[in-house]
Amino acid sequence: MSAVVTATPLVTVRRANRHRVQRGLAGLLTYLGLALALVFFLGPFFWIVTTSLKGNEDFFAYPPVWVPSEPSLAHYGRLFTHSSGARYFTNSLVISSLSMLAALVVSLPTAYSIARWRFGGGFLSTVLLVLRMLPAIALIIPVYLMYKLLGLTNNYLGLVALYTVVYIPFAVWLLVGFLRDFPVEIEEAALIDGCSRLRALIRVVIPIIAPGLAVVALFAFIATWNEFLFAIVLTGIETKTMMVLVTSFTSGGTDTFYGEASASVVLGVLPAFAVAFFLQRYLVKGLALGGTKG
Amino acid sequence: MRVSALALKRKQWEPFAFASPSLLLISLVIVFPLGYSFYLSLRNFDLSVGPDHEFVGLRNYSEALLQDGRFLGSVWNTAVIIAPALIAELLLGLGIALLLSRVSRGRPVVTALLAIPAMVSPVMAAMAWRMMFGVKFGAINNLGRQLGIIDVYFDWFATPALSILSVVLVEVWHNTPFMMLVLLAGLQSIPQELYQAAKADGATAWQTFWFITLPLLKFTMAVGVMIRMIDLTKLFGLIFILTFGGPGGATETLAFNTYLVGFKDFRMSYAAALSYVIVLAVLALTLVFMWISRHREARTA
Amino acid sequence: MRWVRPLAVFTIVIVALLALAGRPGHEPVYGARPYEGTTIRAVVNAEYVKYSLSLVEKDLYDKLGITLETEVIPLDAFVAKTLLEFNSGDSPWDLIMFGPSNMPDYGRHFEPLEPWIEKLKLEFHLDDIVDVFRKVMLRYNGKLVSMPYDGDIHIMYWNKVAFERPDNQKKFKAKYGYDLRPPKTWKQWDDAAEFFHGWGWDGSQNKLFGAGASYKPSASGYSYHWWRQRFFAYGGQYFDASMKPLINTAAGVRALEEMVRTMPYYPPGVLLFESEEPKTMLVKGEVPLLYSWTSTGKRVGNPAESVIVGKAGFGIVPGAEIDGKIVNRPAITPGRGMAVSKYSKKKEATMKVLEFISLPEQSLKIVMDPKTIMDPWRLSHLRSEKFRKAFPDADKYLDAIEATFPFLVPDPVIPAADEYQRKLSFEITEALAKRKSPKDALDTAAKEWDKVTERRGLEKQKAFWGEKLHEMKQLGIEYRPDWAAKAK
Repeated sequence: MSAVVTATPLVTVRRANRHRVQRGLAGLLTYLGLALALVFFLGPFFWIVTTSLKGNEDFFAYPPVWVPSEPSLAHYGRLFTHSSGARYFTNSLVISSLSMLAALVVSLPTAYSIARWRFGGGFLSTVLLVLRMLPAIALIIPVYLMYKLLGLTNNYLGLVALYTVVYIPFAVWLLVGFLRDFPVEIEEAALIDGCSRLRALIRVVIPIIAPGLAVVALFAFIATWNEFLFAIVLTGIETKTMMVLVTSFTSGGTDTFYGEASASVVLGVLPAFAVAFFLQRYLVKGLALGGTKG
Repeated sequence: MRVSALALKRKQWEPFAFASPSLLLISLVIVFPLGYSFYLSLRNFDLSVGPDHEFVGLRNYSEALLQDGRFLGSVWNTAVIIAPALIAELLLGLGIALLLSRVSRGRPVVTALLAIPAMVSPVMAAMAWRMMFGVKFGAINNLGRQLGIIDVYFDWFATPALSILSVVLVEVWHNTPFMMLVLLAGLQSIPQELYQAAKADGATAWQTFWFITLPLLKFTMAVGVMIRMIDLTKLFGLIFILTFGGPGGATETLAFNTYLVGFKDFRMSYAAALSYVIVLAVLALTLVFMWISRHREARTA
Repeated sequence: MRWVRPLAVFTIVIVALLALAGRPGHEPVYGARPYEGTTIRAVVNAEYVKYSLSLVEKDLYDKLGITLETEVIPLDAFVAKTLLEFNSGDSPWDLIMFGPSNMPDYGRHFEPLEPWIEKLKLEFHLDDIVDVFRKVMLRYNGKLVSMPYDGDIHIMYWNKVAFERPDNQKKFKAKYGYDLRPPKTWKQWDDAAEFFHGWGWDGSQNKLFGAGASYKPSASGYSYHWWRQRFFAYGGQYFDASMKPLINTAAGVRALEEMVRTMPYYPPGVLLFESEEPKTMLVKGEVPLLYSWTSTGKRVGNPAESVIVGKAGFGIVPGAEIDGKIVNRPAITPGRGMAVSKYSKKKEATMKVLEFISLPEQSLKIVMDPKTIMDPWRLSHLRSEKFRKAFPDADKYLDAIEATFPFLVPDPVIPAADEYQRKLSFEITEALAKRKSPKDALDTAAKEWDKVTERRGLEKQKAFWGEKLHEMKQLGIEYRPDWAAKAK
């Protein structure tokens, strides 16, 4: 009896050890896998950033120089002075910000309508879903012709209007989700106190779903910032965005303008890094629902 | 209760008022142009010829579907890019999501970092990779030569097949994080008790994955795949910067070809028709997507 | 004293206007800078061109007070975007850079120069312009509407080291049976490319390449320029008198087949090469042969980047040997012209800008700088002592350019020129990428050409082409169906 009793703990310990090793191995492989993933997905950014800081001797050197020997911001300087980089960065910033704000202002009431009063029923929801998937190419031809007629090309107003409207279906969808999660009782309390709907919305609802609003806003910003087709067709020298700027550097191959090209890429991906940094916790929900498809 | 009912009754115009700004804008900027585009597609507006145009019925559509080799080629190219890209994104995304779900410390940070490629513009992704693919001074060839894998310069766009491969690679890099996040959300919604029960029953990791995780992820995967497929039919910016459709027409996608027709050949009506073909394709896919969602909702009800 | 008030107001208004007219920071010396404060907007199709304008911007401002603001629309979108603007009856630009082959599509949007020449006593030094450019780049419907800016033609460059090494010469003679010399025919070119590919013909251990080329179809098409210099040497022509395309005749197929067959001797990436990549390879000593734009010569002679300074040869593009004689058909590739938009609201100032940048001294600055890719277009450029001494063998380079002029073959300068060239170039690259056979590719191109002709109107195109056909015949260029077979 005692032999059996003393044997069992040993077997248990051995099995536990084997599991520990297996778990340790699994853990190691997990970390290795994630490390490889990080290298694959972030490596290009590392290379682009270092390239934008390299001088000619480094870029054209073989064996290849991976870390710039004398990092300098000369390429950024040239981008700003010779290629009007500052102006185009500003354009992107302004257009994206205005579109983001306008989309929010217009979408929130609509989402409220749908969430609280089932406005439009299934029909509206379906229409909005379809519009969300609509390709830009379907709009660009008629919009271009219309804008030419109205003089809205190369014009902040035209671009912001377009980007705002294009983002509305998505913003509404996201906001409906947030509003549905919102406890109605708090709102009802405000209404009983005599608030109008609008006031209730502004004073009670918005402060509480503010994080959700921030998510939608930031995604709207990025979607507009990243947008390309409307930008190359509808912008001109004054309103060109960063996305369009990068196309100037494709002629001559990838070597002639490597400095300006890499610098403009670095500037062009800044919002992505910023949003990732600020929205770590919301990423799974927001991005998974296709937040930044511009 | 009575107060709320009163409140509701009193302001029946409110729902409409709240929704009207966006509805108005959508009608002006989306619905009206779509209608105008359809109208144009039935005519022969060609800016390179002149401002006048006349009604030609469905001729543009029949030309596109029956005679236009380049358009049909672009359909084929789009399909050839979509298939491997979707499979790779699904597998890779699933793999990484699984790995992430095993990690508890630092998961938000790693997830955020891995999500970044999906948040940059396809144009930026393409530019970065185009430089990395650079024949003489690109990162990939440099690394390859340093590691002794390649001898002289290797051109990643030398042949049509290679170009498609390169496009798929950049696409996968750009959008796998999206799939990863979708699948991560799906994984997180699987109740932990199921896993614990499986462990108690002595199931191996593989069995757990195959019999528990995968079936419960099916819907999420379908959603992810559908969204990606719809996005891939619109592929434009990446092509514009990475290959400009080349070599020859090997990587011309649906949207890219339509852009060339409209903004290089100025054939506005024909381009409108082509864009409607794309819209119909997207519409069909969206309907499938909606059917899947409804099917799932019906089942879980 | 009722007039005091109105007078006071009047005076204040005048003073205010004068104050506004004078800009802070600049001495408003009226007369020394007649267009003080004016900004002229130019549009160009590449960063290089913008850079070239920057070379004369300062003088322009000092002399005339005009600030030049230049917008770059990338090559691929340039014709489309600019024509789209013009066709809708307006343009945001005053000064337009354009490709003269597209004159039939652009010309009606340009402001004729002659009335302004008279009005402002402008001096364009027209007789200093090289003859062939004067014919091709200046006129629309007989009216003078533009000035050349860039005299694009193709000449041949070779690396002397490759051709003069005794070792190479022995090996070549042994393999091909004739002396190694800079190629005079396409066959010799292909032999040389095959010979030089894959080893260190400069005496090093490096794996070098056989020849350089640009095979990307973009914009008006690079691969098309490379192809047509063979095509015409084999007796080809764009269309016959009835607008039937002749590009898929034996001459075209032979030219394309040769290009497809010799693809292995060109550097990787050649299918996406635009103008500059092969030039870079030439000046870095990686290809021994290249025919390309004349701007290459400046890069060859620029010690900052070239390793073949003083070691390069310049000559006319290879031709075909027909009945014992060599027929050369070098290309006058689009080139660039500058014109004034008819819709500009500042025509006078823009005319002065056009005059200024076209002045012999100013344009010489532009065409001499190796970082612009602008080529000489004035006789004074070719004869300039400064230019001829700018780098070793610069005089031979300029002489090669001049020797090429009599043989140049223009683009089809008819409406939709850009579209014809693009469609053809696309198919040529399809064949080079082995997606189609040469015959299929050219047949598809011919069909596309027919479609374009139909859209623009067959009779209209026939009329335009008839003129060009006649002009080219006078230059000795006409369709010779028998050449394709007998060319050596």
